[in-house]
Amino acid sequence: MAQAAEKRRESPLLPMSDTRESALFFVIAALCFLAVLTAFSVRATYSAAEGWTANVEGELTARLSGSDAARMEEALGLIRSVDRVQTAKALTRAEAEALLQPWFGTQSLPDSLPLPSLIAITTEPGTQNIGPDIKRALAEIGLEAEIDDHAKWAENIRDMLTLIRLIAMGIVALLASIAIAVIAFATHAALLARREIVDVLHITGAEDQFIAKLFERRFSLLGFQAGLLGALLALGFAISLAFFAGRMTDWVWLLPSIALDRWALMIMLVSALLAGLVARGAARLTVTLALGRMS
Amino acid sequence: MTLYKPDSFDTTSISFDRVALRYDGTQDVFSDVSFELTKGSFTFLTGNSGAGKTSLLKLIYLALRPSAGDIYLFGQRTHHLKRRQLSALRRRIGIIFQEFRLLDHLSAYENAALPLRIRGQKERDYRPDVEELLRWVGLGKRLHARPATLSGGEKQRIAIARALVNKPDLLIADEPTGNVDPEMSLRLMRLFAELNKRMGTSVLMATHDKALLGSVPGSVLTLHNGLIVKQNVAEES
Ligand SMILES: Nc1ncnc2c1ncn2[C@@H]1O[C@H](COP(=O)(O)OP(=O)(O)OP(=O)(O)O)[C@@H](O)[C@H]1O
Ligand SMILES: [Mg+2]
Repeated sequence: MAQAAEKRRESPLLPMSDTRESALFFVIAALCFLAVLTAFSVRATYSAAEGWTANVEGELTARLSGSDAARMEEALGLIRSVDRVQTAKALTRAEAEALLQPWFGTQSLPDSLPLPSLIAITTEPGTQNIGPDIKRALAEIGLEAEIDDHAKWAENIRDMLTLIRLIAMGIVALLASIAIAVIAFATHAALLARREIVDVLHITGAEDQFIAKLFERRFSLLGFQAGLLGALLALGFAISLAFFAGRMTDWVWLLPSIALDRWALMIMLVSALLAGLVARGAARLTVTLALGRMS
Repeated sequence: MTLYKPDSFDTTSISFDRVALRYDGTQDVFSDVSFELTKGSFTFLTGNSGAGKTSLLKLIYLALRPSAGDIYLFGQRTHHLKRRQLSALRRRIGIIFQEFRLLDHLSAYENAALPLRIRGQKERDYRPDVEELLRWVGLGKRLHARPATLSGGEKQRIAIARALVNKPDLLIADEPTGNVDPEMSLRLMRLFAELNKRMGTSVLMATHDKALLGSVPGSVLTLHNGLIVKQNVAEES
C-alpha cells in the first residue's frame, strides 16, 4: 500500500488538456507551418539569387571606342595585367553579332556596319566592382573604354532580395501576432474553465506568479510541440513540392531548391522555440491581467 | 470617522473597525460592524441563514474587500497591503468552506496536501503527515479517491484536513459540522478545541447549531439585521 503510493505521480494542479487545447494546437501548428514555409522560400530565393549574381559577377565586357580598335592587342595585355582579372579575349565578329542579336535580329549584319570592338573579361570568383579599375588602367595609356560589369543587374537583384526579405518579415510578424491573439484568447477560455481551481489556489494563498506558471508551463509546451509539428509538415511539404516540380517542368533550374541543411534545421527549431515562447508570454500576460482583477 | 487602532497588535488575530459590506447593486449585508478577536480565542459566529456569516468570513480570509471600514489581520491593516503580502496572510489562515471547494481532479490526499504544495514543500517531506491527518479524520482507506466518489461527510473531512494541514494561525470554519453525524461532529469540536488550546490556533466557526455553542469555552458573535453582538458563553474567555 505504502509502496503503491510511493509510485503514484502527483496530479498536475491544472487538469490535462481538453478539446479547446487541441483546437489551439491545430492553429499554432498551422501558423508555424506557414511561417516555416515563408522562411524556406526566402532562404531558397537567396541561394538561387546568389547563383545568378555569381554567374554574371564573374563576367565583364569592355568596349573600345572606334578609333582605339587598332590598339586591341595592347589593350588585352593591359587588362590581363589588372589585379584579379583571369582572362581577357577579343570577341570575333560572329561572337559580337551573337551578342547584338537581341537588338538587331537573327539576320547577319551588313559587313559595312562597323561593329564595336568588344573584349570579354572574366575575373576571379567573388570579385566585385573591378570595372572602374580596368577603365582607369586603359585611360592611363590613352585608351577610352566603356565597361559593362552587370553591376546594375546585380544591384537590381539585391534590391529584389531586400524587398522579399521585408515582405517575409512582415508575413512572419503577422503570423506571430495572430498566434499571440489566438493563444491569449485560448488562455482566457482555459482560465474561465478553470475558474474554481484558480479561485481555490488564490484563496489558499498561492501567489499570482505560482498560478501564472501553471498556465505558462502548459501553454509553452503546447506551443513548442505544435510549432515543431508545423515545422516538420512544412519541411515535408517543401521537399515534395520541389520533387514534383522537378519532375514536371524543364525550368527546374529556375525553381529555388530546398536543401535539408543546417539552415533548414535551424529555421525549424527556431520557429518551434518561438512558438513556445510566444505561447508562454501570451499565457502569462492573460493570467496576470485576470488575477489582477481578483481581490 | 474614528481613527481606530487595535490596542494590542500582537494579541489580536482579527479586528473589524466599522466595516460595511455591500454586494454590487444590493443593499448592505451589514453597514457598521466592529469587533475584535484575540489571539488564541475560540469564537462561534451565529445568525440566521442569510444574515451574512459566510460574507463576514470571506472578508476575513480576504476573498472580499469591505465597502467601508478597516480590517486588521494579525495586527496588520489589510487595506494597503500588496498582493504578495495578502497572499502571505492567506497562507496563515486555514479555511473550511461551507461548500467544501475541493478540486475534482485531485485525490483526497492531494486535496488535503494543497496548501503545502502551494508553499513549495516537497511531497516526500509532507506525505507521512498528510496521510496521518487523513487517517485521523477517518479517510485512511480513501486516500486516493476523487472527491466525486465520496459522500458529503467524507468530502467535508477532506476539507477539514486541508484547512489544518499547514498548522494555521487562524482557522475559519463555515458550518464544518453540517454534513457529519453527531459523533463525528463531537470529535471535530474536540479537535478544534485541542488545536486551539495546544497550538494557540485562533478559531472562528460559523454554525447554525445552537447545541455546539456551549461545547467549547469561548465567545459567540451573533449577526442579526446587519448588527453584531458579542457575548461570552463560558466562564473563561
Ligand atoms: N455573491 C453575492 N452577490 C450578491 N449577494 C450575495 C452574494 N453572496 C451572498 N449574498 C447575499 O448576502 C447575504 C448574506 O449571505 P451569506 O451567504 O453571507 O449568509 P449566511 O449567513 O452565510 O447564510 P447561510 O447560513 O445560509 O450560509 C444574503 O442575503 C445573500 O443573498
Ligand atoms: Mg453561509
